[in-house]
Amino acid sequence: MTHTFSKLLLAGALALALPLGASAADVTLLNVSYDPTRELYVDFNKAFAAHWKTKTGDNVTVKQSHGGAGKQARAVIDGLQADVVTLALAYDIDAIHEKAKLIPKDWQARLPNNSAPYTSTIVLLVRKGNPKKIKDWDDLAKPGVSVITPNPKTSGGARWNYLAAWGYELKRNGGDQQKAKEFVKKIFANVPVLDSGARGSTTTFVERGIGDVFISWENEAFLALKELGPDKFEIVVPSVSILAEPPVTLVDKVADKRKTRAVAQGYLEYLYSDEGQDIAGKHYYRPTSPKYVEKYAKQFPKVNLFKIDDVFGGWQKAQKEHFSDGGTFDQIYIK
Amino acid sequence: MTFKATQIHGLIAATLIGSGALAFSGNAFANDSSELEALRALVQELDQKIRVLDRKSEIAEEKAVADKKAAPVVKAGSSGFSISSADGAHSIKLRGLLQVDHRNYFGDDDPHFNNETALRRVEPRIQGTLFKIFDFDINTEFAKHKEATVLDAYINARFQPWFQIQAGKFKVPLSLERLQGGAALRFAERSYVSDSIAPNRDLGIKVHGKFFDDKINYDIGVFNGIHDGGQSANDDDSTNSKEFAARIFVEPFKGGDSVLAGLGLGLAGTWGDQKGDTEHQSVKYRTPGLNTFFQYAGTTTSDGNKSRLSPQAYYYHGPFGLLTEYIRSSIDIKNATDSTTLDHDAWQIAGSWVLTGEDNGFGVIKPKSKFDWANGGWGAWEVAARYHELEVDKDAFSGGYANAASTTKKAESWSLGLNWYLNDNVKIATSYDHTSFDSGIDGVDDREDEKALFSRLQVAF
Repeated sequence: MTHTFSKLLLAGALALALPLGASAADVTLLNVSYDPTRELYVDFNKAFAAHWKTKTGDNVTVKQSHGGAGKQARAVIDGLQADVVTLALAYDIDAIHEKAKLIPKDWQARLPNNSAPYTSTIVLLVRKGNPKKIKDWDDLAKPGVSVITPNPKTSGGARWNYLAAWGYELKRNGGDQQKAKEFVKKIFANVPVLDSGARGSTTTFVERGIGDVFISWENEAFLALKELGPDKFEIVVPSVSILAEPPVTLVDKVADKRKTRAVAQGYLEYLYSDEGQDIAGKHYYRPTSPKYVEKYAKQFPKVNLFKIDDVFGGWQKAQKEHFSDGGTFDQIYIK
Repeated sequence: MTFKATQIHGLIAATLIGSGALAFSGNAFANDSSELEALRALVQELDQKIRVLDRKSEIAEEKAVADKKAAPVVKAGSSGFSISSADGAHSIKLRGLLQVDHRNYFGDDDPHFNNETALRRVEPRIQGTLFKIFDFDINTEFAKHKEATVLDAYINARFQPWFQIQAGKFKVPLSLERLQGGAALRFAERSYVSDSIAPNRDLGIKVHGKFFDDKINYDIGVFNGIHDGGQSANDDDSTNSKEFAARIFVEPFKGGDSVLAGLGLGLAGTWGDQKGDTEHQSVKYRTPGLNTFFQYAGTTTSDGNKSRLSPQAYYYHGPFGLLTEYIRSSIDIKNATDSTTLDHDAWQIAGSWVLTGEDNGFGVIKPKSKFDWANGGWGAWEVAARYHELEVDKDAFSGGYANAASTTKKAESWSLGLNWYLNDNVKIATSYDHTSFDSGIDGVDDREDEKALFSRLQVAF
């Protein structure tokens, strides 16, 4: 009798537990990202939602926030409840650790490739026919050439642009920092408008028709070609450029507070999956998975790329020397 | 007339190309070609300059919109002057209360009181909020000669509406009228209940909150403990014993359309254990004319329990308002020869009517029309009447616990008030109080009636 009663209890408990276990949860994530990743994450979020639904049965809605990477990092530090950040450079994510302790110091070691699921570089976008005959970085320093780039103080992309030009000049002149400073100063003297983010600069160059050359994320340049047609713009690949590694990370304290750690972690890991890498390639970000590097090899021009660690000693040093208040950029840029 | 950038571009292009066309018709082809090129380059240069100006303007506008969203909000108005962060999480507010009184006494032969003009309240005040839930309040008083002091200084953490923790110096949650702001009083001085017996401000900590759509308010706290009518020093508790306070106030019909929507009923009490101290000797039971009629003898010491109990109620409906409360203060006391428990009682009932039809309430009356000499606004007018009395335990006199100057066992006061609210911030008020006294000592005559007319000019923001 007791045995039968136990079985009945167990059956009853299972009957109650089954519908509870089967009910799908609705989860919302916030991905705080930099300016030009809007289209990439619109597609990726859809794919991830479908993947997560299949895997767990839960419904995931990913909200996006975009802007200059520096501004975005500050917003997270000031309390914007980002479950994940996907920013333009590691320095801005380091700041989230240093100023708000929302993530651990070793955040970059938590995912492959220094937490950069895709890479990119900096290229030059010119108007069809290349009327100013732009071929390399040195053409940007010539008088009469109007250059479009965002503000390195607020835009991660702009910092990559600046360092790419600086690195080019260092290589050309054998490592003379003073000459590199003069060179970059001449380029910025040719900048008529400083937008706060890369997308704003795209608007300035592409939609407002300002400038002869736009120093651009590679993906942003391809997007302009795709959206507006190769009859309007051309991409000029400089002889040397910088390897941009936009990193991603979970914002631990926010994710734990919102109880979204598992789905946020899954979201970031999915960037490294086949589908994630394929979506990155489709949006002109360079995949890191060998399989997709090969698949998209023809899409991307061969560029002689240098790493920030090799030329500038890493982001912390570069930021301090060039972009902090009173740094080199403040010295060379005359408003 | 405003030109868009594209219109300007077109105008310049048309003008320059037009002038080029004219030139073209009058010159040789070879020269024409080079001039046309020069004009084209000029048009492009000007076009770029205009586009750059246009874009800069666009960016500036975007920045202005973004900056506005992030900019602090500055407010200045009848409710005070404040600055708050764009998200409202942080704010600071400057407030103040100034009352200038003129005091007239009639028929004051024995004792004689000086008619005078006096500063009753001079209270600059800073209130604010940090991180949405941490309120602070620093209220100071400069009216008393050579005795500027901190009235209130506390932090209130609003974790939930029903669970808040407040610590610092603030009003002990006991008397209903004491909890009413100094600017909202219907008479120049509070009644015996709150002025003489209920404690004023004390240092302590309380848990408090509101339930059921604010229909139930509760307070539970522990304080340093203070004598009847007293206010604690900021850093010098004279005893090691503490005083507990609890209050519940219910407005069962609040927020509805019922005629009872403005009804509130409450019960509050304090209790503590004090033995061997003389803190109670600072008690001064005083009249509405601010004259002391009872103090303990310097030979007395506390001898155990000290408690107060106060049922209380108010009712507001339309222009009508009524506030009533009772309080009993019990104290175990001894002197060189004996010990006893003294029970002192006071109660009041006060009604008011806003003649100009504004809604009455526990707070300051907000006039429908502001006083405006030129355009005929007259503000709000209110009349008020009150009866209140205080009865000292007769054993205070027979047992020798009262000091030699204290002979009054009972004080009864009638009050009439007339209040003119010129606007939300300025009030002119006058109160007349007639107080009669009963002697508590056989063979000692009753104290002479006190007739006091207090007039007040008040600014509060």
